Amino acid sequence: MDLNTAFPLVALTQSEVLNLLPLFTISFGALFSLIAGTNKTKGRGYAFIMAFSFLVLALFQGGYLIFSSDITLLGGTLTFSPFTKTLNLMIMFFALIGVVLTYGQDLKEGLLSEIYALILFATAGMILMVSTTHLLFMFIALEIMSLAVYVMVAMRRNSQFSAEAGLKYFILGGVASALFLYGTSLVFGALGSFELSNLELALRATSQPSFIFFVGVGLILVAMLFKVGAFPFHGWLPDVYQGAATNVTAFMGAAVKFTAFIALAKIAQNLIFIETVPDLKWFQVFIWLSAAASMIYGNFVAISQNEIKRMLSFSTIAHTGYLLLGLYAMNQSEESGQSLVLYLFFYALSNLGAFAIISLFEEKNQKDLHIEQIAGLGMKHPVLGTLFTIFLLSMAGIPLTSGFIGKYGLFSSAVSAGEIPLVIIAVLTSVVSVYYYLRVIVYLFMKEGTEDTALYQKLTGASVAAFLSAAATLHFGLFPKTIIHFIKMIAK
Amino acid sequence: METTSCLLTWIIFSPLLFALLAFLTPSAFEGKLRTLTLVQTLFGAVLATVLYFNFDGNQAGPQMAHLVAWLPEWGINYLVSIDGISLPLIMLTAFVSPVAILGTWPAAGLELKKEKFFVIMLMFLQTGMYGTFLASDIFLFYFFWEVVLIPMFFLIGVWGGKERIYATVKFFLYTMVGSLLMLVAIFYMLKVSAETAGVANGSFYNLQTLHFAFDGSSLQTVMRSPQTWLFLAFALAFVIKVPMVPFHTWLPDAHVQAPTVGSVFLAAVLLKLGTYGLMRIAIPFFPQAAFYFREFFILMGVIGIIYGAFCALGQTDFKKLVAYSSVSHMGYIMVGLFAFQKIAFAGSLYQMINHGISAGGLFLIVGFLYERLHTRTLNEFGGLAKIVPVMAIAFMIMTLSSVALPGSNGFVGEFPILLGAFQVNPFYVLFAGTGVILGAVYALKAYQLVMLGPQTRSDLDHLHDLNTKEIVAMIILTIFVFGIGFFPKTFFGKSDVTLDQYSNSIINKVGPHGP
Repeated sequence: MDLNTAFPLVALTQSEVLNLLPLFTISFGALFSLIAGTNKTKGRGYAFIMAFSFLVLALFQGGYLIFSSDITLLGGTLTFSPFTKTLNLMIMFFALIGVVLTYGQDLKEGLLSEIYALILFATAGMILMVSTTHLLFMFIALEIMSLAVYVMVAMRRNSQFSAEAGLKYFILGGVASALFLYGTSLVFGALGSFELSNLELALRATSQPSFIFFVGVGLILVAMLFKVGAFPFHGWLPDVYQGAATNVTAFMGAAVKFTAFIALAKIAQNLIFIETVPDLKWFQVFIWLSAAASMIYGNFVAISQNEIKRMLSFSTIAHTGYLLLGLYAMNQSEESGQSLVLYLFFYALSNLGAFAIISLFEEKNQKDLHIEQIAGLGMKHPVLGTLFTIFLLSMAGIPLTSGFIGKYGLFSSAVSAGEIPLVIIAVLTSVVSVYYYLRVIVYLFMKEGTEDTALYQKLTGASVAAFLSAAATLHFGLFPKTIIHFIKMIAK
Repeated sequence: METTSCLLTWIIFSPLLFALLAFLTPSAFEGKLRTLTLVQTLFGAVLATVLYFNFDGNQAGPQMAHLVAWLPEWGINYLVSIDGISLPLIMLTAFVSPVAILGTWPAAGLELKKEKFFVIMLMFLQTGMYGTFLASDIFLFYFFWEVVLIPMFFLIGVWGGKERIYATVKFFLYTMVGSLLMLVAIFYMLKVSAETAGVANGSFYNLQTLHFAFDGSSLQTVMRSPQTWLFLAFALAFVIKVPMVPFHTWLPDAHVQAPTVGSVFLAAVLLKLGTYGLMRIAIPFFPQAAFYFREFFILMGVIGIIYGAFCALGQTDFKKLVAYSSVSHMGYIMVGLFAFQKIAFAGSLYQMINHGISAGGLFLIVGFLYERLHTRTLNEFGGLAKIVPVMAIAFMIMTLSSVALPGSNGFVGEFPILLGAFQVNPFYVLFAGTGVILGAVYALKAYQLVMLGPQTRSDLDHLHDLNTKEIVAMIILTIFVFGIGFFPKTFFGKSDVTLDQYSNSIINKVGPHGP
């Protein structure tokens, strides 16, 4: 029997297969990890080894292939250019840290061995999501990612908060996905294509698209703002961040956010920032308002939080606001797109690190770490305290850390694009953010420990992940030249 | 301006190398860390001395530049250089540091907790201060400006007094508000630089050549000029740090709560970052806007002088008194800078150094007393001069320097400022002169309450006079007090050419009667 008819994938050319290799590796890694995890006694360890080694392999493949020629697959559905391949590498890197972070934490929180496979499935979905320009395909990728993450959130089986968080996220996320799909169909109905570049061409050809197009774009925008957790669609975020096991929170805050934002940026650039269609400016105004509201709401509400994960979840809403500012500036300048990626990458690094440290001090099944519980920890564990400080300073955007470089790049490109009012809102609200980040540092180093002070939980994975993230945070904070140069080069 | 030496880079980063050494020191040697810090600060002083003798005083422009490409994509480079304005401030930092270490050496049994962390923060702080004074790139300046906050935040917050957390968070947030708006202004300047030249370039020499539109014909046109907003954004960041009334409220808290060594660095060097920023960036880059708003800043300076003096007069806490005296003395610098007179610019630079010496010295005295008697309340001292004569002499010298007695360094700074301001508006000098008198009143009152009069305490038998290290510290300061007082040319001569050119170019830009 002819192989081609039996197994059509063989029809891919060699270079196409090469470009898909990391994706294959991750998918196979997920399957192997699933199988390895069935071992009754050492399942978690085997699953970890599988997931870890396949991710490392995929990272090497991705890094090796980064400059291979651009390739478009499946009739233009998937595009692998150096830019998307770099985004994929970043996602795989986050997944790697996520996997390392889970090691040890899985036993403590009673997470099943399948968590490793789920991380890899989610990663595969993310890779597809940032590589595609096809709205329907994007929906499928979104669902691959989201379904895996829903399960991960609900996986702390002995914790009612985790179940609540999982259910909340699942129902609301399902609604958002439905909105996305419905919006996609309306856009297709109006302009006759799912392909973002074709849609843009069609839009530029007609300055007055039909009304259902605007309804469709509105629905898609709402769905994406939900996924990135922007005001006013942020309601699920604090509960989910708190309820999920901390390693899952870290992975969500880094990788899911990264992916969702890249997808939102693509959609915005092709469907919303079209200067030939004047009515689209209402969506731009909406993004502006959502950015400002996210910064103000996230930062001011975070002040009054006494639980660390909950505080960080509100701060994440504020960071979404800053990112939306960068997104909005993309309307005027291409450079903002690069700054956006940079900021997302740096933010994800410090986010991963901060949650890694939190997981080191959380007891089994604990919902959240109360701020009183970290009193004096910095003095008791100087190294971990310093690492946590680095991550917090990075989120606050203080020099020496990559967060400052990210913020500098994002705001400066927004100023270049002429968005000075929004930048001023951003810097003033980030002074507010400095207050609550400092509050944590104050508790770490300047308060005496009490009997309530959390105990150090020995977790190898989380410590390694924290060190990795801290090293990257400091490195990119002091020597950002290479990565900025690189992103600029591949963006061309 | 080519790369000629790495000396400046050594000055900036040698404290960090020592910090690494301190970090790697095993805990068995924790007791020796203070000695290591002293060695480090002395090394800094030696480097600064080498710098001083290599500095060419006949050259107005920047010297000894060191350029390393850092972020060329964004027009940002590691560029450090020195000129006659930075030189005295570097010398101040380099000599105040060993003095601060010697003067706050903990007595046996009173060692601080977490000594290693403490000395690392001290070294880190010096890197930040040297970096801010030497940076010649706007991004690098901002970078160091912010970095200074981190060690100071910990110094006050971990080793400070009872209300230390409130004080340190307030200090941090106040500074952040100003500096983030400054950051927006920096973005705008780099954007203009990129539009003018094709590529952004953040070096001071390039930014100085840019012109930002300014139309001073009416308030409306002023408010629409970009230069106005740039100037105000920078000025806000700097006057918070100075601090200028009404942004001074963080200062008494921070000073009172900080450990002595923190107070010394704060008063002697950190406040100068603000006035240095005004002198280096806000005024020369935006001369027309600065000139337009000069009356406001002079007024605020004069209010600061008098208000600070009255507040100092009303204090019962010795440390708070010295803190408010800082508000008052920094007011002179504001007056001097915004008088737009050649002599007043020079006076302001001198006053920065002189206030560093006198305020640093006075905080050390407060520290000596607190360490021995565990109180700072003025009424609880009294009649100490007989028991601790050496301390009384040192205190007297610092008091004289603070009240700007002719022959002391204080006079060298305040007199040219008042002279320059007099040429602008004698009225201001009338009020500022009142401040001089009030300054003498509160300083002498403090001296009298502490050293003279009847003894009010019975537990003074164990009170010991200054030890050798403390005496050495005070001798170094005394040399500067009278050295500058009698031979100002010897100390500031190398800045003359730079100052001359600096004031000429600014006064030319704003014209004889303003724009």
